[in-house]
Amino acid sequence: MSSRELAHRSGPAPAQLADVLERVLDKGIVIAGDIQINLLDIELLTVKLRLLIASADKAREMGIDWWDGDPFLSKSARDGNGNSVESRLRALEEKAGLPTTQKEES
Amino acid sequence: MIEAPAGTAWYVYGVAEDNPALERLDAVELIRQGNLVAIVREVPLEEYDEAVLPERLNDREWLERNARAHEDVLQGAAAVTAVVPLRFGTIYRSPEHVVEMLGERAGEFAENLQRVRGHVELGVKAWVDLSALEQTLAAGDQPVAGGGAGAAYLQQRAQQQERSRELSDRLTELAEEAHRRLTAVAAADVVNRPQPRELTGRSEAMLLNGAYLVPEGDDRLRNEVEQLAAEHAGLGVEYELTGPWPPHNFTGEQS
Repeated sequence: MSSRELAHRSGPAPAQLADVLERVLDKGIVIAGDIQINLLDIELLTVKLRLLIASADKAREMGIDWWDGDPFLSKSARDGNGNSVESRLRALEEKAGLPTTQKEES
Repeated sequence: MIEAPAGTAWYVYGVAEDNPALERLDAVELIRQGNLVAIVREVPLEEYDEAVLPERLNDREWLERNARAHEDVLQGAAAVTAVVPLRFGTIYRSPEHVVEMLGERAGEFAENLQRVRGHVELGVKAWVDLSALEQTLAAGDQPVAGGGAGAAYLQQRAQQQERSRELSDRLTELAEEAHRRLTAVAAADVVNRPQPRELTGRSEAMLLNGAYLVPEGDDRLRNEVEQLAAEHAGLGVEYELTGPWPPHNFTGEQS
């Protein structure tokens, strides 16, 4: 616990876990070290993390399905009903040119 | 298990431009090569052994603890010098291998350090409570008069669809406008995939998830976010500013 932590932090709250994971797991220079962390493991882990926080059913209920791109889970996660608000949001993201993992039902 | 001398590994958090203040960082070691410094920590090899790694990576507590530790080290380094974050889990079996890596990639690191020097990354998220917004808009619908129940239903449906289209258009414009205005006051920008609600724990949908590289001490982006928040409050759109972060989003391959 040191001056270093105080020095660079200006936000009042500690960083959200989601923000930290997004950066630490998905960004930064990728170098294959001597020990390989399999990126598939990372993807799996973020998927699982999501599932830990809310069950898959709950997630589907909320229309969350952006793990669709993950071949491991796309099948099982795919049978939920598209929520109209969510699909609209996806359409919106697309139009806005925002990255989205939509894989539309038809 | 194995009590071989290979019981230790070196976890590399990032590569920084050498600076004496780095010596003050807690619990890390510095491996130097030329003007570059790898910020490393000696970790038990068994912690990151390939055999157990998949399991560890799927252990939420382990992941959170180590991801935050990774971030904390980078924050500390970024506070005193230019640093290039490496992705989580870059691990070497010996300090010599780290030195080799620094040598081989010196050009790439120099280029990245040059880009981020004197800058910080700020995150900006826009949130919208879609259901509240829909309800507000629904309250403005024309009351349905005349016709049978079927006709009333159809008319209501048509209104809803029209409203959804308008809402969608409006929010799209809004996200585009926000990003455009933030980009105008940033040295570089990245738009990331909106985070899912499971991860954010919020009921609102994320409309924009942007990262912006700005000069240290430059308040223009912060001011622009405040301005946007004030302008878009009527639509129930909220803005959230995070950081300063080490430049995670602005190193590596720039697309």
